[in-house]
Amino acid sequence: MRNSTTGWLLIAPTLFILFITGLLPFLYVLVVSFFDWNTFAVNPDPHFSGVENFRRLVFDEAFLYSIWLTLKFTFFVVTSQLVIGFGLAKLLSRNVPFKGVFRTIHTLPLMVAPIAVGATWRLLTIPGLGPIPHFLQKWFDVSYILSRFPDQAFITVVLMDIWHWTPLVTLTLLAGLSNLPREPIEQARIDGAREWQIFWDIILPFMKPVLLTTVFIRLMDALRTVDEVWMLTGGGPGAETRFIGLHIWRVVFPKTDYGYGSAMSLLALYMTIVICWLLYVAMTGMKDNKQ
Amino acid sequence: MSEHRNGFLPINTNTFDRVFIAVVLFVALALLWMRFIEPFAPLWIATVISLVIGQWIVRKG
Repeated sequence: MRNSTTGWLLIAPTLFILFITGLLPFLYVLVVSFFDWNTFAVNPDPHFSGVENFRRLVFDEAFLYSIWLTLKFTFFVVTSQLVIGFGLAKLLSRNVPFKGVFRTIHTLPLMVAPIAVGATWRLLTIPGLGPIPHFLQKWFDVSYILSRFPDQAFITVVLMDIWHWTPLVTLTLLAGLSNLPREPIEQARIDGAREWQIFWDIILPFMKPVLLTTVFIRLMDALRTVDEVWMLTGGGPGAETRFIGLHIWRVVFPKTDYGYGSAMSLLALYMTIVICWLLYVAMTGMKDNKQ
Repeated sequence: MSEHRNGFLPINTNTFDRVFIAVVLFVALALLWMRFIEPFAPLWIATVISLVIGQWIVRKG
């Protein structure tokens, strides 16, 4: 049996960094969430208020609406990216012409900073300047004004996120597909299995760990989206694209309501953890599932 | 700590999993109580219920 003290000493620097960068800020936010602390208030000092911030947020219609918008946004982007990413990964796993060129072009959005993606899409969608409103008006007679129509703003934000992050899904699923064992698939073909049966009964079960990881990464990213949306719509029109991250930012920084902002951040974290955990249990953890 | 148990929960869990589930339920019940039930019953009742459920999950889950 190896000496466990040596092991603990070896991972001690990592644990220390994780404690400083992960656990300590979390504990600080947890403590602040139980305080009424607004530096613009008559009394700017923090004073203990118990669960008052949490009581306030369960009745905050704007915050609850931002949760609903975030969940809707997350559902649309994650499912779209999975379907499109899987299709592209299947395509790129075959010998198609110009595969390398397409893979490089397809990966380019990943290298762009989110703030630059938002600025680029803003330029594309400004009425009177961007090509998207121009051609939609010219070809389909559609009036495309993000600052006026909430549905257009929401759909554009979803499309922007799909454009930006589908390459990540494609690359991870492509890695998973290229590591699939060939024997079970060939065996199934010899036994006369149809393509959809091979996909459903062999490829998907083998891909489950990769799919799960990809879904988690995208789910957590989508739930905390801020910068792209901030650049494209600023959360508008009204509050129709004001997702949780943006809403918290507006409360914490311009209004300096740190206690309430911390409570909202904790609820967002709680929601993210619970959704990921439920998904994980649904995909791997049931008792009759041997994986 | 990492010993798995086959309790009443529909998943195989270790102690950490069961504590996690208890905390998740504690928070959810407290928030829902504040939103819908607090005008009729104080929050400490929800806390007691959560602690009882939490202990049941940790012991038997």
